[in-house]
Amino acid sequence: MGEVGLNAYLMVGAVLFVCGVVCMATKRNGIGVLMGVELVLNGANVNFVAFSRYTSLGLDGQTVALFVIVLAAAEAAVALAIALNFYNNHLTIDVDRGNELQG
Amino acid sequence: MDFEALFKQFLSGDVAQQASILRSLTIFLPELVLSSSIVLMLVARLVSLDRIIPTHWFALLGGMTSFVIVLFQFWEFGNSQTVPVEVFTGLAIHDEFSIFFRGFLTFFLVFVIALTVLTGIPDDEDAPDFYSLLCGAVVGMMLMSSANHLLMLFIGIEMASVPSYAMTGFLKGKRRSSEAALKFVVYGAGAAGVMLFGISLLTGILGTAQFSELAPRFQAVFANHAGMQDPATRCVALALLMIAVGFAFKLSLVPFHFWCPDAFHGAPAEVGGFLSVGSKAAAFALLVRLTTSLAGDGSGALSQLSLSSGLGLGLIAIITTTFGNLAAYSQRNIKRMLAYSTIAHAGYMLMAVSALLVLQSVQTDLVFQGNHQENGPRAMEGLLYYLCVYLFMNLGAFAIVALIRNQTYSEEIDDYKGLAQQVPVLAICMAICMFSLVGIPPLGGFYGKAFIFASVYEATNVHWFMWLVLAAGGLNTVISLFYYLRVAKTMCMDSRPADAVPVTLAASSSPAMYVMLVSGMVVFLGIIIDPLSKVALHAAHALF
Repeated sequence: MGEVGLNAYLMVGAVLFVCGVVCMATKRNGIGVLMGVELVLNGANVNFVAFSRYTSLGLDGQTVALFVIVLAAAEAAVALAIALNFYNNHLTIDVDRGNELQG
Repeated sequence: MDFEALFKQFLSGDVAQQASILRSLTIFLPELVLSSSIVLMLVARLVSLDRIIPTHWFALLGGMTSFVIVLFQFWEFGNSQTVPVEVFTGLAIHDEFSIFFRGFLTFFLVFVIALTVLTGIPDDEDAPDFYSLLCGAVVGMMLMSSANHLLMLFIGIEMASVPSYAMTGFLKGKRRSSEAALKFVVYGAGAAGVMLFGISLLTGILGTAQFSELAPRFQAVFANHAGMQDPATRCVALALLMIAVGFAFKLSLVPFHFWCPDAFHGAPAEVGGFLSVGSKAAAFALLVRLTTSLAGDGSGALSQLSLSSGLGLGLIAIITTTFGNLAAYSQRNIKRMLAYSTIAHAGYMLMAVSALLVLQSVQTDLVFQGNHQENGPRAMEGLLYYLCVYLFMNLGAFAIVALIRNQTYSEEIDDYKGLAQQVPVLAICMAICMFSLVGIPPLGGFYGKAFIFASVYEATNVHWFMWLVLAAGGLNTVISLFYYLRVAKTMCMDSRPADAVPVTLAASSSPAMYVMLVSGMVVFLGIIIDPLSKVALHAAHALF
């Protein structure tokens, strides 16, 4: 087995990114949208780790990936709390049902 | 290597390394003070100390202490050294520019805390939560303004955004508030994800995440590449575009502005005021830092990069101001109107950044040298002055909205009819803020706009497109006259309907004093320009 190479990793990262963006754009369920965000963040993480292995970026890439994991967890915690609060008030987490703020 | 070994290495490490870490920690003191005040607030609730000492005193004390420390740093910087210091092995940078913004943000924090105390938006039970979110967001914004590394850029933006999401939905039982928070968090998380992917591409291709090395690496990578046919060039362009999406979200630029009116409409007015000033200021600081370090000394390939990004930002600025002003025109809710006005003002301020980049692109051009050397810092001075005036005029407007809401439970512009007969103080101060937002002399807003338009005018020497930017800026100022003056007219000229809820506020009460102080500062900055503009110019010079 030879080395997989940088491009294969970048391809995985790009596919994750596109899946995440499509998920964010098409899901009506609030939780589904947040799952799309996680996919995008992890696609970027794959890129960071691959770049740190194959280019002159060095350890910076690994460090950024670690920080992003923590930040994604923090963001998910707040986002889920907000989604729960939305559910309590609207009895649904369909993001299209939030249509009271218009003008 | 485990933690213990690392710690031992630090203790036995060379003296220079230890000294640099200690120096970094001293420079980081304002952020540390704010963070420890957060811990203090939460612990105080744990031991029921907040029943005896209200929580806002902790927050106020933390904010004031860090502001004083920043002032001290400013004084020290002016006296002893003038070289920027890289702190924490180059993750952040300490120069006049970051001191200016950290001072700005802590000063603003104190004002916002004072406002929330006067309007009583978090009750005693929720106060520790609210103030720790507020202080946490400000720490994030301070990190944004001193970032020197793409990781710090992302951490700063997230640290400022995540508490803002929670604060938007702070009134838990309200349907509108929860809807606003959900929209804000969905858009915000999406934009942050896209931005992070852009950062990963940029760091991968340039092989560094340090701001100061971006420009040299960029030049090295593109020294012998040809135009957009080259995959590396296209990839960098894509990465910059993705990073721009993140910034456009934070600055609520068209077409990433959808969250802004909804979030402001649903959030309490105090939070709206905080977001409209604080997060905009920090995002502009970060944008300026990133773009100036990308543009570097403006030679070779960098000149082209600087010019095209400057023109791109100029185009976005034109669209954003025009859209914001036109959409604000038809609003009935005052908070929604102020949100669109925030969008429009972000466009005006973006014009300064655009002018700066266009001017930087000819920095090494011999034809433009000589007395044109000062143009870049001048554009920055305009932006900083505008931000300072904007702090007072926007905070004043949101404070008045909050005070009136507390009595009438309404935020519709129609319910403001004839308030001048009942509370002349609020009506007059609102009129001052509105006139200043239009940019009518001799109020502060006029000079902010004048500085920015002057630097855009200078940039017309470099590229004809800046004439369009200048024309759009002028035209938009005229359009904005109508909807700002409508509010002032409704409050001052119309008569109060008989069935309207009466509003009372003694001119000597502390809320009235607060509003008068803030709008007094708007007038003051319009009459006495010199001290602040000198400080702004001084801070701007740190970037060049």
